Amino acid sequence: MTHGYPKNGRVIFHVDMNSFYASVEMAYNPSLKGKPLAIAGNPEERRGIIVTSSYEARAKGVKTTMPLFQARKLCPELVVLKPNFERYRKASKEMFKLMAEITDLVEPVSIDEGYLDITECGSQGTPLEIANRLQQRLLNELDLPSSIGIAPNKFLAKMASDMKKPLGITVLRKRELNKVLWPLDVAEMHGVGAKTKEKLNQLSIVTIGDLAKADDSQLRRVLGINGVRLIQRANGEDERLVDPDSVFDFKSVGNSETLRQDTIDDTVLFSLLRKLSVKVAMRLKRKGYVGETVQLMIRYHDRKTITRSITVHRPIAEVDDIYGLAIHLFETHWNYDPIRLLGITVQGLVEKQNYQEQLDLFHYKEHLKKEEIQTVIDNLTSKYGYNPFEHKTQISTPHPTSEEPTTSFQKDFLDDYTKDH
Amino acid sequence: MKFIIQRELLLESLQHVMKAISPRVAVPILTGIKIEALPTGIKLTGSDSDISIESFIPKEEDGLVHVEDIETGSIVVQAKYFPEIIRKLPLKTVEISTDDNYQMTVVSGGSEFHLNGQDAMEYPQLPVLHTDNSFEIKHDVMKEMIKQTVFAVSTVETRPILTGVNMKIDNGEMTFVATDSHRLASRSVKLAEDFVHIQFNNIVIPGKSLAELNKIIDESDDSLTISVADNQILFQTKNLYFLSRLLDGKYPETDRLIPEVSKTSVKVKTKTLLQAIDRASLLAKENRNNVVKLETRDNALQISSNTPEVGQVTEDVITDHIDGEQLKISFSAKYMIDALRIIEEDNVIVHFTGAMRPFILYPENNDHILQLILPVRTY
Repeated sequence: MTHGYPKNGRVIFHVDMNSFYASVEMAYNPSLKGKPLAIAGNPEERRGIIVTSSYEARAKGVKTTMPLFQARKLCPELVVLKPNFERYRKASKEMFKLMAEITDLVEPVSIDEGYLDITECGSQGTPLEIANRLQQRLLNELDLPSSIGIAPNKFLAKMASDMKKPLGITVLRKRELNKVLWPLDVAEMHGVGAKTKEKLNQLSIVTIGDLAKADDSQLRRVLGINGVRLIQRANGEDERLVDPDSVFDFKSVGNSETLRQDTIDDTVLFSLLRKLSVKVAMRLKRKGYVGETVQLMIRYHDRKTITRSITVHRPIAEVDDIYGLAIHLFETHWNYDPIRLLGITVQGLVEKQNYQEQLDLFHYKEHLKKEEIQTVIDNLTSKYGYNPFEHKTQISTPHPTSEEPTTSFQKDFLDDYTKDH
Repeated sequence: MKFIIQRELLLESLQHVMKAISPRVAVPILTGIKIEALPTGIKLTGSDSDISIESFIPKEEDGLVHVEDIETGSIVVQAKYFPEIIRKLPLKTVEISTDDNYQMTVVSGGSEFHLNGQDAMEYPQLPVLHTDNSFEIKHDVMKEMIKQTVFAVSTVETRPILTGVNMKIDNGEMTFVATDSHRLASRSVKLAEDFVHIQFNNIVIPGKSLAELNKIIDESDDSLTISVADNQILFQTKNLYFLSRLLDGKYPETDRLIPEVSKTSVKVKTKTLLQAIDRASLLAKENRNNVVKLETRDNALQISSNTPEVGQVTEDVITDHIDGEQLKISFSAKYMIDALRIIEEDNVIVHFTGAMRPFILYPENNDHILQLILPVRTY
């Protein structure tokens, strides 16, 4: 066993870039370094709002979401820039690339933060060494400061990365919880906002320590299932895995695979397409999504890569649908050169219950028949309390929702960060 | 070849034949315009091999002289430059001549252009139509027929036959049908007595051809002669010859897909409904199918649209009458707007047959027009 890794249990990093937008601007224009800098929605307008600011500006009391005129009052020499999303997107892509060099298990959370599971990275050094190296590379190669939290799970890693900014590396061990975490105000806890804090305070829960010892059923009554989760987190428990594609959910679900050797054998290629279709369909089903676009990726022996897609106006989620369209794309676009890798992605995802389907003149009658069958199934389901025709029960996965307020832009950047696995 | 011509007339003719010319064609010479000086006048030809258009400028018409000093001959010139040159020339007349090296000289006032051309012999021969199957229809009726159907053709090539308009003639009545499989537009007209013997079924004219034809023929009660033969259709006016390829394949049988019974019938002011749908669609633009919802009330239709990220809208449209079952249905605002726009009558009748089935619209007291729309299924 390598030093610094637990016998059983995981080692999770939370990497949080320090005032990311402002840091990227300073990297582009080093003369800004050391100056109070703010990025604001609309600098010309007095009522523009601060999106982020440098530490120099924060020292003067400038805060995120503060109106511009107020910030200028606190810090008259404040340099204000408009957000330049193209730059941030590029920087973000580079920084996730550095993380991906450590492990495949990188979960981007937003444009400027992500989790890494380095449990299996013992060969690269102790967790502290890996964290140091990553932080240095981010700083030297991209000129971007970061804070890294190291802990046995995501929640603690996130709390740890918050503790030392900028350029901190903080290890949070479970046995230190009572000293490090519990004395903090509950509002410091990730996942506790103003409203929740108020409710907790009414129950005389003021510190994270109070929360850790709080009564399960009482909190469940006040905060629902989230209350129970908060108690677990306050006790340092968090089972969530680092899921590299948790944020891809809303956009696409895809799998790809490199062949053992470059091939033109179509039985091998077709069976790989089948296998990928099965995987993608399974993941779609688990997530409860349907899409309208199937994309095929072909990488040839010389690494030349093409992607081709087809969009249909019906909900795609079943293996046969995906496979059928993938085969169609494959037969249309394969140039008979030896193939190294194939990938299938379903895009344009929506939750099944939000799907609207434009009916078709030539097929609506078939649709009506299916509808009748569905009505029978629904009736039987309500009679017996379960669907007698369904083999597997729906696996409910917790949604990667709202722990983190992410804007659509923050998620967009993930399109750049696609990798094969 | 040599002639002197009225610039405006030449320009108008050029614009007509330009409709058939595409910069991306398999045969390079088709990127050019063929110009022929005949003893009787000037003939221009443009073609992309799907559509071919000939426009003729007679030497004299109604006592007016259009072309002078004709020396017969022909040439093909680049369509990219020639029309723009003619448009910008200073005088009302243009003198055009060619030499033995296929050089064209264009003179107007003090400006003189020399253009490289090509031998007109290289230009493909347009097919000559041999047929007795000709009939006539007024320009303005033809334009109406096109406008009221062509918008419904499919714009995707997944089912190529649906990119065309199906022309049927039976019992002295001509019908145009177009569908992209989500909506259908149909319009029919009685032909003149002379043409009762004409019978066509599976004629499918590319939607693009009809749209171009509509742009070229003028709004008048002149007659358009239509002839069909061997996968080609020809539309002819006095000075215009518009030839289009027909689409291969069988047009799907659509008559039996049009519901005959109605479960809910509504009569409503066309404009009022159109405007309400248009307003509701403002908030529906974000959602994929531009969906609005319609719900029957006692004497009104409730039109609504809800896009969670944007907001929601509700509006009641008072009806003249509603008969039959209560109904809640969702459909594409765009299809509804397209359908209502071509109805000129004050009142429109809508027949619904259930939330998952097609519904039809037609103008009150006019069974020559029928619009059909498939609803959107919401889960």
